[in-house]
Amino acid sequence: MENIIEVQNLKKAFKSYSSRQGLKGAFRDLFTRNYTIKTAVDDISFSIKRGEMVGYIGENGAGKSTSIKMLTGILTPTDGKIVVNGMNPHKEREKFVKTIGVVFGQRSQLWWDIAVQESFRLLKKIYNVPDEQYEEHMKDVIDTLDIGPLLDKPVRKLSLGQRMRCELAAALIHNPPLLFLDEPTIGLDVLVKLKIREFLKRINEKYGTTILLTTHDLSDIEALCERVVMLDEGKIIYDGPLKELRENWAEGKQIQFQFSEKATLEELQNLTKDHLVVWEQGESDLIWVASVDSDETVISGVIGKVTAVKKIADLKILEISTEEIIRNIYVEGAVRHG
Amino acid sequence: MEYLSIFFQYVGQYLKTRLTYRADMVVEILSDFLFQAVNLVFILVVFGHTTLLAGWSKNEMIFIYGFFLVPFSIFASFFNIWDFTDRYIVKGEMDRILTRPVHSLFQIVLERMELESLFGAVTGLVVMFYAGDKLGLEISWYDPFIFLLLVLGGALVYAGIFISLATIGFWSDSRTDIMPMMYNIGNYGRYPVDIYNKIIKYVLTWILPFAFVGVYPASYFLKRDEWYTYAFLTPVVGLVFFMMAVTLWNIGVTKYRGAGN
Ligand SMILES: Nc1ncnc2c1ncn2[C@@H]1O[C@H](COP(=O)(O)OP(=O)(O)OP(=O)(O)O)[C@@H](O)[C@H]1O
Ligand SMILES: [Mg+2]
Repeated sequence: MENIIEVQNLKKAFKSYSSRQGLKGAFRDLFTRNYTIKTAVDDISFSIKRGEMVGYIGENGAGKSTSIKMLTGILTPTDGKIVVNGMNPHKEREKFVKTIGVVFGQRSQLWWDIAVQESFRLLKKIYNVPDEQYEEHMKDVIDTLDIGPLLDKPVRKLSLGQRMRCELAAALIHNPPLLFLDEPTIGLDVLVKLKIREFLKRINEKYGTTILLTTHDLSDIEALCERVVMLDEGKIIYDGPLKELRENWAEGKQIQFQFSEKATLEELQNLTKDHLVVWEQGESDLIWVASVDSDETVISGVIGKVTAVKKIADLKILEISTEEIIRNIYVEGAVRHG
Repeated sequence: MEYLSIFFQYVGQYLKTRLTYRADMVVEILSDFLFQAVNLVFILVVFGHTTLLAGWSKNEMIFIYGFFLVPFSIFASFFNIWDFTDRYIVKGEMDRILTRPVHSLFQIVLERMELESLFGAVTGLVVMFYAGDKLGLEISWYDPFIFLLLVLGGALVYAGIFISLATIGFWSDSRTDIMPMMYNIGNYGRYPVDIYNKIIKYVLTWILPFAFVGVYPASYFLKRDEWYTYAFLTPVVGLVFFMMAVTLWNIGVTKYRGAGN
């Protein structure tokens, strides 16, 4: 399949000037100004195929928004090459933006004091969408996002969740084959989040829309994206399937036993001496956690040995959550390949 | 052509929004008219005592002032870009503009238009007819067309200068007082330039060519043929300055840094 986005050695550096202190400093600033260079995006390369839904993640300040702004033609790259939908976003901006949709969760794309419907109508004109195409496509979008009742309200009177759904609809007026979403679910409640996820899945299936999405809510990514690109300090530190990320990082499982009577470490270690197990005491001396490899024979072996001898009240097998995995990666700052 | 239809859509939306706030609109129109009336009285009072200045009669000066109001009001209706840096650069609103398939400057013109300012043109016309009548000026059939051309040229001069100033925002978003200062300098174009000294006259003709908004084009209608060359240069100067400004703007857009959220 063809690549809809191709990025090679992309770089963006911001020069920021700082002022010196005091009158003397201000005077010196007139001649030479101090500046620091912040490399927000540092030599990244990747490509995205038509129809993919890719999660673009990373800590605050990792450079996600900056990359998206370059991919959408808002910012000019300092260096590197971008081809999106067969065009150079910055060079052919006006032609290019007709082929993409953009939503910035932190910023409204709609006109503040006019009714949502009027905003849509202006956008329809701006994108030069024919009536029939608009009617058919937007009816579907409006129904799925359930924004029919909001259409005659001015944007400033909408709640965040209501506005966000309208923003999404607005970004899709021209039914673009590629959608950029920068934190589309920021500050939204669970129900609205679910609705938005459903919607994105639907347009991805129905129109084959390619979606690149940034978020700090990993459940968005888990629900939508098979592939993640992870950014740290402007560099890509992981690019691949979410599943693989989980498998490489979530080595092992934890089995949590709640015994009916007191247990000691020695006793438990003795019981499971045939397997590689690390025992740790939980909240009380009734609760013990065994960390084992993610291997069926080990897991059932340990459970069998322990339950044969000791009475248990409860048993849980815990998997390390994606949240935790990502946190570990952020802390270590690199992905181990294994 | 497509831009024209987008333009009318925006104008329609603008009027609709204004009409929904009907009470506001009535108040605004009233205050606009009041403002224009005060303006008119002001002009008559100021020029009332002068009789002849550097060879210009009182009524000629009033006529020039009236003419000036027309291109200026067109500029003021469509080029509200004095707060461009604050509104679009510092707040990052330019992001939104740049994700849409229409030239960014055109979008800002559309978003920021204030059609009420066009009332100033009415005042200008009233003043011109009043002074023209006193001067016994005659109007030929082609004069309205020349008038439109010269007005357009004058409006483009204004637009060109202020767009150029706004583009500074793409390079530096620090606050400057350059905009209000330029509005003041622009006012010098309302009076005949030969009342000023040589340097100011040169500046107002070739560097900040505000003279092409008032005296020069108006002198055509006043039949002052010593100024005709300048009068007919008006559309050219307007076009040149406007195109320079748009070029600067286009370069500026590539320097846009966005707000770091
Ligand atoms: N206009 C700008 N001028 C100077 N520095 C900037 C600008 N925009 C972004 N930066 C810097 O670039 C870096 C990356 O910012 P960016 O907004 O891309 O991060 P992000 O990954 O989107 O973070 P977040 O999750 O907080 O949205 C940050 O260190 C930021 O301070
Ligand atoms: Mg961001």
